[in-house]
Amino acid sequence: MASLQLTGLTKFYGKRRGVENVSLDIPDQEFLTVFGPAGAGKTTTLNLIAGIVTPNQGSVRIGTRVVDSLEPADRNVAMVFESYALYPQLTVYQNMVFPLKSPKHRLPAQEAERRVHHFAGMLKIDHLLNRPIQALSNGQRQRTALGRALVRQPDLFLMDEPLSHLDAKLRHSMRAELKEMRDQLGTTTIYVTHDYLEAMSLGDRVAVINHGQILQLGAPDEVYFRPATVEVAQLFGDPEINIVEAKIQRKHREAIRLQMLGEDWSASVPEDIGRMLDALSSDTIQVGFRPADVEIAADGKTGFHGVVYSFEPLGTKSVLTIDSVGGQRVRALVDGHRTFQVDRRVNFSVSTRALIFFDRDNARYLARSSQTEEEYSHG
Amino acid sequence: MIQRTRSPLAVIGKTIQMILLLAYALFALFPLLWMVIMSIKPDSQMLTTTFIFTPTLENYGTVLHSDYTRFFFNNLIVSVAAVLVSLVVGVPAAYALARFQFKLKEDIAFTILSFRFAPEILVILPLYLIYQRLGLYDTYLGLIWVYQLITLPLLIWILRGFFEDISPDIEAAAQLDGYSWWRVFLQVLLPLVKPGLVAAGLLCFIFAWNAFTFPLLLANNVQTSTVIALRYLASDTVHYGQVAAAAAISALPEVILALLIQKHLVRGLSFGAVKG
Repeated sequence: MASLQLTGLTKFYGKRRGVENVSLDIPDQEFLTVFGPAGAGKTTTLNLIAGIVTPNQGSVRIGTRVVDSLEPADRNVAMVFESYALYPQLTVYQNMVFPLKSPKHRLPAQEAERRVHHFAGMLKIDHLLNRPIQALSNGQRQRTALGRALVRQPDLFLMDEPLSHLDAKLRHSMRAELKEMRDQLGTTTIYVTHDYLEAMSLGDRVAVINHGQILQLGAPDEVYFRPATVEVAQLFGDPEINIVEAKIQRKHREAIRLQMLGEDWSASVPEDIGRMLDALSSDTIQVGFRPADVEIAADGKTGFHGVVYSFEPLGTKSVLTIDSVGGQRVRALVDGHRTFQVDRRVNFSVSTRALIFFDRDNARYLARSSQTEEEYSHG
Repeated sequence: MIQRTRSPLAVIGKTIQMILLLAYALFALFPLLWMVIMSIKPDSQMLTTTFIFTPTLENYGTVLHSDYTRFFFNNLIVSVAAVLVSLVVGVPAAYALARFQFKLKEDIAFTILSFRFAPEILVILPLYLIYQRLGLYDTYLGLIWVYQLITLPLLIWILRGFFEDISPDIEAAAQLDGYSWWRVFLQVLLPLVKPGLVAAGLLCFIFAWNAFTFPLLLANNVQTSTVIALRYLASDTVHYGQVAAAAAISALPEVILALLIQKHLVRGLSFGAVKG
């Protein structure tokens, strides 16, 4: 067990940027999820920590050791590869016990066997232990790869999308298992995923990364409710957050009037936020609101107006896409029992407590209309 | 119970297939068979084309009691050593060409392959002169060295494909599991390329064993059996029976080796070519 510190890690593959100037400070026993879309630099970050890839610049410290000049074998980290990287000539058992037979991490044979059986049981692959790798499904291979890392007691776990190839049901149960294991083992873990739900449910903190740079680092709630940039807001949540441009029509202490979606709308925001918006040099901002905060009104008059563009029922919820009067598309999450005809006229309102304001020019977070998450969720 | 009944058409198809395969096998094996038959024929009946003759082991006796055995072992020493040297040099070379990015990588790989393009006869004259000067003429070392022209390109190019098929992640995983690079190479990578290693090794051995031009001109006392079989073709008489017996003996190591490792061989020859 150990803390982890990355300082200014930079890696270019030729001219292509892997990661640039990544700095992270991860205390002992933290479970950090690294979240980003494909090609964001997540795997490169893990490879740099593991020592598989050498950085152009920057430094990695595990615990009190600076490991920059150490071989991967000497860094005492265990990694789960996205490609599994299992030894195809060996069986499941032999794969899992392989690290425990190495010169560096050798355990007594009995103890090694006990650990393999323990984790194989946890991963529900104990009935497959004597199978060759070729005879496994992708999900079983992935669990074997996870097991090979878990049997060790390293300073650091590095997990590269360890659940991505499991079917939805198994993924949910494995997520719960991992969560429990996280609390039991207490080993510092860097967990890479492109699934925002996984990132939020597993991580003590979430690092959002894209284009090789860390966009935001914070607790799951923080990243979700106070995204540092429009991009972060767009990466979290499905369906995606609505981002629209809004003109601040009349600046006033308590209530501001926004012109957005082609209509005038008075939204009351707390005093300090109103003042902050007053102080902006530009009178245009970007406003974000989640699809769940869009309410389809029944009376056909109040709020914003639009036409139903598409309607996707998803069981308990449905996704409604609306062409607003102003031309922008707005996504809304509505109750599953309501149905909407395409091209039907609808009107909708947006919860004033749920607005997130971004700077128009640099897309950075300015403020959100409710002060606290509690206020938002209970209010 | 479900009884599987084959349609008459399928049976006929199967039969035709078998007949064709059998015909091809006969066609391919006939020279070998003819060689064996010739080796047990007396000289007087050598030129008859019927299969009726009085079998004799006299030819084998003559060949085995001559110094042919010495040349046979010469060939064995030179060929085995050449393959071993090629393995020691070629496996790391194939690995490097598969894994690392360096300048002129493809050019180097192609140059190695191009040693196989030129007929041996094209370079034999300068090689002969150089060997005379360096004192490599008529030595084991000289032959083993020049055989690398035959065996090394083959080995490198076959094994390169096998190494390319192994994901670099597997190497990284084994290193993270606590193994040094050398142990990763020996314990993880070598077992994975074993089929290729076996197939390439055997092919190299066959090519080295059958080498003719190089030993003919670069060796004398340490001559190999391939070349020595020539001497039964004297200017006055031709002892076809003895040539055949010598050739049959000469073919033995290849046949035995191929039978021993045939399980790996088939897999090896088909495995490297197909990418998953």
